[in-house]
Amino acid sequence: MDKLAEQLKTDAGRIDVQVSAELDRRIEASLRGVTPKSDGQVVLPKGRPAGFWWASSLTGMVVALAVIAVINSRSQPEIPPATTASISPVLTVAAPIIAWRAESAMLTSPLRQELEDLQADLRKVEHKVRQDIGL
Amino acid sequence: MTDEPALIDAAKAGSADAFADLVRSYRDRLLRFLLTRCASYADAEDALQDTLINAYRYLHSYDPRWRFSTWLYRIAIRNAQKIRSMNVVEIGDLSDAESDPLLQCIVASETENLWISARRVLTDDVFAAMWLRYAEDMSINDISKALGRSASWTKVNLSRARKALDTEMNSQRAKDEAYG
Repeated sequence: MDKLAEQLKTDAGRIDVQVSAELDRRIEASLRGVTPKSDGQVVLPKGRPAGFWWASSLTGMVVALAVIAVINSRSQPEIPPATTASISPVLTVAAPIIAWRAESAMLTSPLRQELEDLQADLRKVEHKVRQDIGL
Repeated sequence: MTDEPALIDAAKAGSADAFADLVRSYRDRLLRFLLTRCASYADAEDALQDTLINAYRYLHSYDPRWRFSTWLYRIAIRNAQKIRSMNVVEIGDLSDAESDPLLQCIVASETENLWISARRVLTDDVFAAMWLRYAEDMSINDISKALGRSASWTKVNLSRARKALDTEMNSQRAKDEAYG
């Protein structure tokens, strides 16, 4: 043993420690209150009879079928068939309703004339469209 | 201990007396070791109590290929760590003899106890490895098992720790000579 190892051994011996009587009693009392665990303490589930597995399988199948049936019978949201008759082929052009103020019309007569021309053009176009589509 | 296997078997069967006999020769040594790893005497005592209770409770998991002392020290190291993790006071904070439980238990001598120097310069695990090697005469394999480290880690760190302690011893000696 070399010098350092010897010194370490000697110095460890100079640490004077002893378990006191009180700690000794405490430990022994604690040990008596402890039940050592053993490998065989694992509680295994009890074996089930064969009929149990059949019954649970059948129940599972019945439940699965019931779920499938419920899903299939659930009413689908009805989508009305698209009928051509319900859709009017004529486009109704709604002319914008503009509330004109009389006094401002007096001051803006060229504009008013312009509006009347435009409305006349609009009527002509409407008439032509009606003719084109055979109404 | 010649009848250790018989005591282990009896303790496994539930005999607390057999277990108490089994660990009687280890208790003082374990307490001394735990004192180097705990911040107070009471903590070391608690760690010892927990160690023995855990060892008894889980004796069924003891592998006879291990030395029983190695297994006990492994449990002790874990319990000391657990108690230290719950504590606010760290060993490094214990600077005087009144608060340091290890210093209180050291028999007075002319030179500083080398384990005090070791605790100052080594990390926890390396200190434990040194303790198990030089205070408990454990083999490298047993130390590795007790610490949960590889054998190479243990060898390398024991060697480094020896060098660090040598340096510490030399510097202490130089100080002593300088101050007479």
